[in-house]
Amino acid sequence: MTQTLRNIGLIAKSILLEAIRRKEVYVVVFVACLIIGTVMTMDFFQIQGITKFYREVALKVMSLSTGLMVVLLSARQLPREFKNRTIYPLLAKPISRNTFLLGKLVGAMAAAAFCFALFMAVYLTGSWYLGGDVPWALFFQYVYLQMLMMAVLSTLSFLLSMTLTLSAATTIVVLLFILSATITSATTFVYYTLDQLGQWVIAFLTYLIPQFTLFDLSAKAVHAQQWEPLSLKVMMALTLYAGIYCLVFFVGSALLFKKKAL
Amino acid sequence: MSDTKPVIEVENLVVEYGRGRKKIRAVNGLSFQVHQGECVGFIGANGAGKSTTMKTLMGFIFPTSGITRVFGEPATEGKSRQRIGYLPEVALYYPFMKARELLELYGGLHGLSRSDLKKKIPAMLEKVGLAGRGEILLKNFSKGMQQRLGIAQSLIAEPEALFFDELSSGLDPIGRYELRDLLMELKEQGRTIFFSSHELSEVESLCDRALIIHRGQAIREGTVEELIQSSRTIDLHFTLNDLSKVSESLRSRIQPDGARFHMTTDASESLADVVAQLAQVGAQNIRPEVKNNALEEYYMRIVRETETHNDF
Repeated sequence: MTQTLRNIGLIAKSILLEAIRRKEVYVVVFVACLIIGTVMTMDFFQIQGITKFYREVALKVMSLSTGLMVVLLSARQLPREFKNRTIYPLLAKPISRNTFLLGKLVGAMAAAAFCFALFMAVYLTGSWYLGGDVPWALFFQYVYLQMLMMAVLSTLSFLLSMTLTLSAATTIVVLLFILSATITSATTFVYYTLDQLGQWVIAFLTYLIPQFTLFDLSAKAVHAQQWEPLSLKVMMALTLYAGIYCLVFFVGSALLFKKKAL
Repeated sequence: MSDTKPVIEVENLVVEYGRGRKKIRAVNGLSFQVHQGECVGFIGANGAGKSTTMKTLMGFIFPTSGITRVFGEPATEGKSRQRIGYLPEVALYYPFMKARELLELYGGLHGLSRSDLKKKIPAMLEKVGLAGRGEILLKNFSKGMQQRLGIAQSLIAEPEALFFDELSSGLDPIGRYELRDLLMELKEQGRTIFFSSHELSEVESLCDRALIIHRGQAIREGTVEELIQSSRTIDLHFTLNDLSKVSESLRSRIQPDGARFHMTTDASESLADVVAQLAQVGAQNIRPEVKNNALEEYYMRIVRETETHNDF
């Protein structure tokens, strides 16, 4: 058991190392910083409510950038291992395929967390510069839910990368992620216009596709005066919701990978 | 065949790729064993089924039918990997890592402690000719250096058995020479070595036994000495006044050689019988010249024979 955990840690560490050494994470953070920085310059014009505007933009940019990062990092892990044949010396070691997969998942999550931590540093620095209190309780809930969302995105990317090409898997997950709010609004609207069969289909799709908007607390974190932090019950329900998706996607990936000829 | 326990057991192995009409049989009823302490060379042309067999032994590919066991455990379960060092046919290593970090990763997965790795890594890098290169990023490594690192990663946990797929691929002549020394050392330590190679001189100089595979089937297996012995030929040089007296079957084998003639016999025929036949038709001054064909020549002959007889 200890060795299995160590193996997961070793594989995860290699992905984190890659994220730290490759420039793409920093490029994403740099671009995000530019956007956030541009918003901050508006403080110069003393626009009313600039702090809220800054927070709204910053949190959205952070959420979007980290989401894209986690999808790219996760989706490419396995296809690249196959393409470069780095999988052979790795799986020739006394580790199971499940351990390998879990290590990759933890690594992708850790790399995403690293990216998110960079954003946090930028965000908090900006908040401090513009003044105003950070609603810490809601802010931490926002961070926690973002982590859950990343886990769902990551496991879904792994699952799709096992069956589809890298570009197809990435495109599908990115679209589901970016258009999540639109899909939710559209299905809610369409639901009431359909007959029973159509409603069943919509309901099925709603449960099949993870609702990423559920993990987005950015609006609440910005308008903290109007909102109380989420109750423990809601947080637990969201944790369970994410956990079920993660489990289903991971088990699916593990089953496919177990049977895959390398 | 050795009396020791088999490290590798392959029984009637069949591996197929693809489905339906596109199905390709890469390995077709292969059976062999490799025993503890043996060094066995796995010879075959590209696409003969060597890498597929290796991958099946490592549990990367699942057999369509047949049995593969390594250290008595089914290869598909991978339990034996703790005792194996494996070098894949072609492998790139993570370009963002340093050589030391890569060996730390692989050694760690083998269960080696940090303190063990700290001692072993510099020694291992030195052994494969990469001393002082531990802190260089792998993206700056040449193909030969990557191959050396691949050998290092396969040896890091001091495994009992070593499976090398295309051992000297990418190595320069010096690298090959050094590798040969290293393998000799490992062999002397009693490790089991099973490797595929296109370098038949390598197999000839290192291996106790060789297994020749062609189109997924083992066509010859034996000690290197046996295989070379069976390929031993004798050139007979002689003078002959009238070639027309010689029977048709014998005449087709006789070649003019200046003022003399010569013919080649192989190990399957009795030299005395051939000499008697030649003497009967008036050959004189018969001078035999023994030739030991190298494994390479033997391999070429066997493969051509197999192709001609289409007996697979």
